[in-house]
Amino acid sequence: MTRGRTLKVVTIVATLVLWEGIVRLGFVNQIILAAPSDIVAAAAKDGGVFMRAFAVTIAEIVAAIIVAWVLGVVLGVIAGSSHMLAAATAPVLSSIFAIPLIIVYPLLMAWLGIGPLSRIVFGVLSGFFPIALNTIDGVRAIEHRFLVFARSIGASRPQIYARIIFPLALPSIVSGLRIGTGLVVIGVVVTEMLASLGGIGYVISYHRTLFDTGHVYFGIFLALLIAVALNAGLTRLNRRVEVWRTREQESLHG
Amino acid sequence: MSKSIIQVDELGKTFSAGRAQVRALADVSFSIEEGRFVTLVGPSGCGKSTLLQIIAGLVGPTTGEVRIEGERISAPMPDKIGMVFQDPTLLPWKTALANVEFPLDLRGVERTVRRRRCAALLDLVGLREFADHYPHELSGGMRQRVAIARGLAQDPRLILMDEPFAALDEQSRTRMGHDLLDIWEKTGKTVFFITHSLTEAIYLSDRVLVMSPRPGRILESIAIEFPRPRELDIIGSEAFGSIRNRIWHLIAEAQP
Repeated sequence: MTRGRTLKVVTIVATLVLWEGIVRLGFVNQIILAAPSDIVAAAAKDGGVFMRAFAVTIAEIVAAIIVAWVLGVVLGVIAGSSHMLAAATAPVLSSIFAIPLIIVYPLLMAWLGIGPLSRIVFGVLSGFFPIALNTIDGVRAIEHRFLVFARSIGASRPQIYARIIFPLALPSIVSGLRIGTGLVVIGVVVTEMLASLGGIGYVISYHRTLFDTGHVYFGIFLALLIAVALNAGLTRLNRRVEVWRTREQESLHG
Repeated sequence: MSKSIIQVDELGKTFSAGRAQVRALADVSFSIEEGRFVTLVGPSGCGKSTLLQIIAGLVGPTTGEVRIEGERISAPMPDKIGMVFQDPTLLPWKTALANVEFPLDLRGVERTVRRRRCAALLDLVGLREFADHYPHELSGGMRQRVAIARGLAQDPRLILMDEPFAALDEQSRTRMGHDLLDIWEKTGKTVFFITHSLTEAIYLSDRVLVMSPRPGRILESIAIEFPRPRELDIIGSEAFGSIRNRIWHLIAEAQP
């Protein structure tokens, strides 16, 4: 083991021991802070419940992400490629984006029930706006010369969208996806906590009312896992599309 | 006389800017024979680029018509016309070779075929070793060479060039002009070239068309008789200077 790695392990172990000690010695109430051993015990006791809830949440998030990405990018590209449509839609979209959308969730529940559908739809709503807005921005920023060039080589309309407009707008689209995807996760988990009988959010909320703090912490840990994994994937994607953009800028200025 | 590849007849173009009508071109007529290098010069804003865009089928004329090889143009004809713009407009996520291949890629030309043809074109423009470089790794002049190779990719008989070297420093610009003549002689294409540099126009061309300030019309067509292949030294010659003077006076006296 290298020295840096040893240090890391020592730090983690020391933190856990300290954490456990603080709770066991009664410095902090166990309802406020669960000891690491409580969290492990919760996971061991109700592992099956957690895994089923985890699967439900992941399925809802994946469904909401797919719909939010496709809707946001497709509608964003369409709105962005017309000056009039962009001028008409962008202010409306950004106003809606500024509203805390959770206020419409009671309506969604009334319309769609408390099953997964209302949570997926709310997740989509949460993520859609930043994705669409960033896509519109990215498409609007494309210089006219690229479109003139595309027409001069006889590119068809679908080719212009797929081979010129979409890749040129991609860096902006991906930053929209990063923001939007995070909001999808929040939207799904929060609505699970508010009113539902499934998913990680529900498990957290249920055990909170029973003061099973170990369960609550393990649930939070699982929700964090999803968010961290998604963010890591998107960061990688972002790095890939950023490469040529930053280099392009460097070469223009250097 | 060889047959004309571009035939421009009584072309006029009026733009409406709000309520005002701006006449960009008025009654422009000329023709260009196959295989020639013809340059259009004129003051900034005289409608040179508009004329080029109409010839390319990118913009429709208000009056008159353009025929390419006898066919009236109403839309871009990528198999007949290759274009090179002032900005190379390369796709930043593609290598030099992939940029040259791009027009063929869109037309569904098979990978091995287009790769072979485009590698040869990169070789022609002197960038064989830079095939795998991305645009940001190339100098301004090299990027414009890639754009020229790309303009040749669909093997058109006519190349339209809109101030392709305007953004380059003088040294690269002179060299690019010299190399362009070399490419032109090797490929036998017809080139219609726009510039506002009189020296560049005279050095490159068989014929220089002189355009008036807006509304643009052709003031005169001047044949340039220097033998080819040309050497840069002719630029300093007395004959060259007197042609340049003549064009300069034509443009200056046409100022309103």
